[in-house]
Amino acid sequence: MTSDHKTVPKEILLYLSPRLREIIEIQSEAFFCKLEEIRVRYGQPLLIRCGDEDWTVKPSGQATRDIHLGYRVNEEDIYRTIASISDNSLYAFEEDIRRGFITIPGGHRVGLAGSVIAEGDEVKNMKYFSGICFRVARQIPGAASGIFKEMCDAGNGDLVNTLIISPPRCGKTTILRDLALQISSGKGRAPENVVLVDERSELAGCFRGVPQLNVGPQTDVLDACPKAVGMMMAIRSLSPRVIICDEIGRQEDYIAVQECINAGVKVICSVHAGSDDELRRRPFIKDLLGGGAFKLGIVLSRSRGPGSIREIIRWEEHDRA
Amino acid sequence: MIGLKLVGISLIISGFGGWGLAGARRMDRRVGELRDLRIALGFLEKEITTMYTPLSLALQRTQEFSDLPVAHLFRDSASALEMKQGATIREAWRQGIASMLSHSALLPGDIKVLENAAGQLGMSNASEQSKMFALIQEELKLQEEKARDQVKSSRQLWSYGGFIMGAVVVILLL
Repeated sequence: MTSDHKTVPKEILLYLSPRLREIIEIQSEAFFCKLEEIRVRYGQPLLIRCGDEDWTVKPSGQATRDIHLGYRVNEEDIYRTIASISDNSLYAFEEDIRRGFITIPGGHRVGLAGSVIAEGDEVKNMKYFSGICFRVARQIPGAASGIFKEMCDAGNGDLVNTLIISPPRCGKTTILRDLALQISSGKGRAPENVVLVDERSELAGCFRGVPQLNVGPQTDVLDACPKAVGMMMAIRSLSPRVIICDEIGRQEDYIAVQECINAGVKVICSVHAGSDDELRRRPFIKDLLGGGAFKLGIVLSRSRGPGSIREIIRWEEHDRA
Repeated sequence: MIGLKLVGISLIISGFGGWGLAGARRMDRRVGELRDLRIALGFLEKEITTMYTPLSLALQRTQEFSDLPVAHLFRDSASALEMKQGATIREAWRQGIASMLSHSALLPGDIKVLENAAGQLGMSNASEQSKMFALIQEELKLQEEKARDQVKSSRQLWSYGGFIMGAVVVILLL
């Protein structure tokens, strides 16, 4: 990845239509450092999210927080941006489009909105694109250092099975990515084999199967692989010490987590919830926690920026109490 | 004086004859180019619908596979896309057509078939692309058949016609 203020101009703006690129590229370096999302919606003002603030850019190129003054995105902008993201090759991204996003070099994810063609419960394709959302993938080295210390057993120093509990946009993906890097590169301990099951191509930001973000020298990535399937594949064929995956939620995910733990593999995964109480209200997770699968839960928030630790739950002690 | 006249007569006849022969050769070349185009588009179709190769790379590979002047179409389209300046395939393809035209014997009807593909190339899923290529192949095949018929019917006329016209001009001048 390029340095932070260059990430957006060098890796993202070149995919925008020339008009959008023209008005965004003249913004300041500080603006690019904070930029998290660019939203391009047909007929609506261009929207740029920097931290917790929504910004837009006037047709003159001046950034403003008054969204109504922003440059209105037109059909040409959408068409050119889609053409550019897909290298004019939508056929090559059929699978990605079915999943609703395309990952571009640098590991940045481009979410797509439009007319969905479905057959039964299955999405077949998408056409007539009306919205595009660029999410900037940023590697923050050391983002997980505070958490990593908590994850090591006080007695033998082994990693414990950990659940990262977080509402959206609190930095769980960045933390999981950094955990993979730290465990795999052996920061302060012996390096271990890690498998990242990256169903949504967010953790490693793979482009054509190759991780675009640094996830460590001993990390194998199963890109775009369903979590439950990926965890079982990893156990069978990649002999991991640690399996990391993002956003478990379906019943089969919990079954696969239990299988991994029973196989002696450490599991670190994230789940959407704001607190322990919210977590326990989610179906299936209660059984998993009751069975002692996870020893440690780390609740994240944005109170001091993404990745702030709100609470550390040690379930055995918690349950005893 | 007679010598000068003979030189003039031979220049007129060879000039018209050469023009006629060039016309006949252009007809042959058109048939060959239409055939090359169909083969190249078949290659491009495989790259797209079987290999799922991104379009700029698929065009580049097709350029390496095809003969001149058809290769110009794919070379210039690929380089316009590779520049990542926000060019769409429609613009890149038209740029390629313009580049090929300056070296080609194709007629406006043939070019029209290629231009029709500009809006659809790459911008749909593999099965839609496959249908589009089938249609282009069909249309180019018709053009090729027409071109072959034209070669049969008019080739000799052009080949000898130039010399005959040259001779007529000489007679009229005398």
